[in-house]
Amino acid sequence: MGQGKSQFTEEELQDYEDLTYFTKKEVLFAHQKFKALAPEKVGHNKNAKLPMAKILQYPELRVNPFRDRICKVFSSSNDGDCTFEDFLDMMSVFSEMAPKAVKAEHAFRIFDFDGDDMIGVSDLREVIERLCGPDLKLSDSEIQQLVQNVLEEADLDDDGALSFAEFEHIIDKSSDFCNSFRIRL
Amino acid sequence: MSGGNSKGKARSKRHEGWEEAGGEFYQELYPGAEQDLFEHLQRADAAKLATLLPSKQARNTTTVKRARSQNDRRQSTYARTTQSRDIHLSMMPDLSENLSNEERTWEEIMLIKAMPVPMNQKRELKEKLQNATKLRLQGLEHIHWQQRKVWHRFRIRFGEILGKLEMWQSPLREIEGTFGTGVVSFFLFLRWLLFLNLVISLFVIIFLILPKTVLVETSYDCEDYESNSTVCCSYSYLSRNLTESNLALDVIQGTGWMERTILFYGVYSDQIYTYFIKSFWETQFYYNMPLAYILVPITWALLSLIAIVKAAAKGFKEKLVESEGQFYLYCNLVFGGWDFCIQNEKSAKIKHRALFNEIKGCLEEERFKEEKQLRTRESQILLHMRRLLINSIVFIILVASGVMIYISYNYSLVRLSAQTGVDNADPGDLNKGYVNRTSERLAFSHFKMHRNTQGLGSRDSSFFEQLENTLLEFLPYICIVMLNLIVPEVFNYLIGFENYAPARVIIVTLLRTVLLRLSSLAVLLSQIYVFIASNKRTCSWGDEEANGIECWETYLGQQLYKLILTDFALQFVITFVINLPRAFVARHSSSRCLKIIGEQDFYLPKHVLDIIYIQTIIWMGSFFCPFLPIIGTLYYFLIFYIKKFTCLINCTPSPVVYKASKSKSLFMSVLLLGFVVSIAPVAYSVAELLPSIKCGPFRGYSTVWNYVIETFDRFPYILRESVFLLGTSVFAVPAFAVLLLFLYYYWAVAAANRHMVAVLKNQLVLEGHDKQFLLNRLSAFIRQHQKRCERRNRASFADDDSSIRQSSR
Repeated sequence: MGQGKSQFTEEELQDYEDLTYFTKKEVLFAHQKFKALAPEKVGHNKNAKLPMAKILQYPELRVNPFRDRICKVFSSSNDGDCTFEDFLDMMSVFSEMAPKAVKAEHAFRIFDFDGDDMIGVSDLREVIERLCGPDLKLSDSEIQQLVQNVLEEADLDDDGALSFAEFEHIIDKSSDFCNSFRIRL
Repeated sequence: MSGGNSKGKARSKRHEGWEEAGGEFYQELYPGAEQDLFEHLQRADAAKLATLLPSKQARNTTTVKRARSQNDRRQSTYARTTQSRDIHLSMMPDLSENLSNEERTWEEIMLIKAMPVPMNQKRELKEKLQNATKLRLQGLEHIHWQQRKVWHRFRIRFGEILGKLEMWQSPLREIEGTFGTGVVSFFLFLRWLLFLNLVISLFVIIFLILPKTVLVETSYDCEDYESNSTVCCSYSYLSRNLTESNLALDVIQGTGWMERTILFYGVYSDQIYTYFIKSFWETQFYYNMPLAYILVPITWALLSLIAIVKAAAKGFKEKLVESEGQFYLYCNLVFGGWDFCIQNEKSAKIKHRALFNEIKGCLEEERFKEEKQLRTRESQILLHMRRLLINSIVFIILVASGVMIYISYNYSLVRLSAQTGVDNADPGDLNKGYVNRTSERLAFSHFKMHRNTQGLGSRDSSFFEQLENTLLEFLPYICIVMLNLIVPEVFNYLIGFENYAPARVIIVTLLRTVLLRLSSLAVLLSQIYVFIASNKRTCSWGDEEANGIECWETYLGQQLYKLILTDFALQFVITFVINLPRAFVARHSSSRCLKIIGEQDFYLPKHVLDIIYIQTIIWMGSFFCPFLPIIGTLYYFLIFYIKKFTCLINCTPSPVVYKASKSKSLFMSVLLLGFVVSIAPVAYSVAELLPSIKCGPFRGYSTVWNYVIETFDRFPYILRESVFLLGTSVFAVPAFAVLLLFLYYYWAVAAANRHMVAVLKNQLVLEGHDKQFLLNRLSAFIRQHQKRCERRNRASFADDDSSIRQSSR
């Protein structure tokens, strides 16, 4: 952690501590992890912008079916490239301390592939396909059935898509979500 | 629609007015979105219009507001519906609301972290908040705020320290990375049990073991008392000279010198330690050992019960909230399906497959349900017959294993006594046989000691004999443990024929296995009980061989001690001697047959049962062997590493999805069952059985509980009366009535709420339909309006043309 300390001033650390769900030590630890993705680049500039491909080398992200969405949601330039601060934001949301509402907010954006602020049928299909992975394919009718079931359960106002309020409602009732939507630093 | 059209035509004038007013209204409301709005209005597309609704428009920005009032959900929904005029204000701190004071600013800074905006924006916000003019707090408020700040900082630091102290963080992370949250919840459960045992151990150490070792008993001389008094009896038990026997065997059996250590019930004193310490204000100090000995078990039993109920209640609450009859099954599957913590490529692949299977399974289950309704009568009867058959087979297996334990227990007793060479057991009379056997056994032990002292010449043969004896001693436990190992596999195989739904399979297997384990324990206990009960516990000075087990509580403690050791040994052997080579074979051979033998997946229910079983034994034995919780703590500590080894090295991730929340409440329910089953015999022995005369804190009393009652009788009158009052009907009936009333009240409230929820849900659907309808109407209307405008334009063009023509004329 000695090298990490030299890269941040006390004020910056205080800022990070106030603005994320991490303590100062955890921020430094996160920076170490970030640095490990591209040692030279980050060594020069602690807040270097790493391309999405580099960020995706983070172990948990590498195998995550929603990896590109996660990067895009947290990227401040919206193209998937992340600076350290974006990375810190990401980890903060995924940390254990982050409340359900914050997680739900970001999960909604991750699952909203087309960005229309609704999780529609096409988004749900995409989510399901990604969940099953590249090798396994559900038949079209099965996906159809599943989407139908999900909408039946959650689409309260019957408009064929999940709005954020509806999504939050599901998340509120799902005790598993908080457990699974988490990446330990 | 057509009616609307005609009306629209009829009142076109007014509509036009509305349209304009509406435009202004929109303009006023959505200063940023007006461009968009009119673009969409021009195109008049209902779907596009929907995206312009305030609830959608304001989402991104209202979350900022929402974050501020995170604690208050009602407020948050309010924020969501407020019109977007607030948007631009809400992006900034609420400067309009007078000047905020320092405390509020600080609170708001603390809430920035919940906002879904990039870091630089957050930082800007923080700066703005900090630089904004704010009222200084003074006096009490200032102190209050400072206190809050310090408390907050302290909590962060404390959390950090606690996080460091948290046991097994990195192994848990590793397991989580490969196996997902369901399996980790098992390990968390293990850790929870470890801490529970640690707390119980602390109690036992402080209140029983320390006083026993530190305080000095007054010794009475037997000569002054009658020969069958407790003093003489215990003297005869405790002072019998021990001859040396094999140390290692004694340690694992808890016999010999071990029997008279603080490990077991027998040595605890029945005295009230009295100390007269001069330097301490010349007061007398008491330590009532028997009272402590009964209060400590009561304390830990209550403590365990509270801990379990608390954990289980949390699980049940979650389950209740979640359920509404499996309401969000599919949503959970889709949105909560992926464990974001998985970091290993292979596990990710398995997770994909597991999810795929789960989805398929769920869909199939639905079809299965439909099929069930369609099932013909014959096939239904056939299925029921099959289930009945298999259930009876399971029952037979359970009974058979009970019988097997019974036989092995008796066999070991008989063989142990037969070895003495003195065979005077009367086969006709069972009860008498027991007495004789035990006496033989005791005689044998003396014989053994005798042999041992005979000299080195006979040492070798005596060693083998001892080994054989040890094996025989352990025979019932080895039998139990083996049954626990083999029978579940048979159950697993049998359940395949029963055609249960996948979720049901786990529960049914679990239930059967629990039954097996607990019933085998019950058989063992009842055997021991019969054995104990058939021994007359008379005591007379001098004739040691004549009476049966001298201290049955210690004997029971020894049995459970042996059981737990056997269990541990087996866990160890299975993991390292059997499963490790299997895993090795599976990994390094390409032959399919070997792979099938070698590959193991981490079948969660089995491992859960393993550790719950241990806990059951600990609860059962802690009264008789106060050291058991300490052994248990150690056991759990070691078993964590054994299970981790099993999990990470021997096993591949299971193709079944284990949900963390579901499994947790399941663990707790099973643990509660184990608790009841294990506490019941202990409670029975405390309340009903005659304690040994020769040993333990309760020698001379008719039951242990009798002692408690006698102590209670010495309490002050008022206290006694008030406690008695609690037991009378004067108190109980009104209390019961009040409880019932409360129950009814809450039930009524719950029912009303449920009704309300249903009504609101309906209303929500209706609102949704209304919204759709209005949007369609609006778009149709706009289209119409546009057409009319065009027509009017055309008409005015025509007018213009004609006027031009006229003027040109």
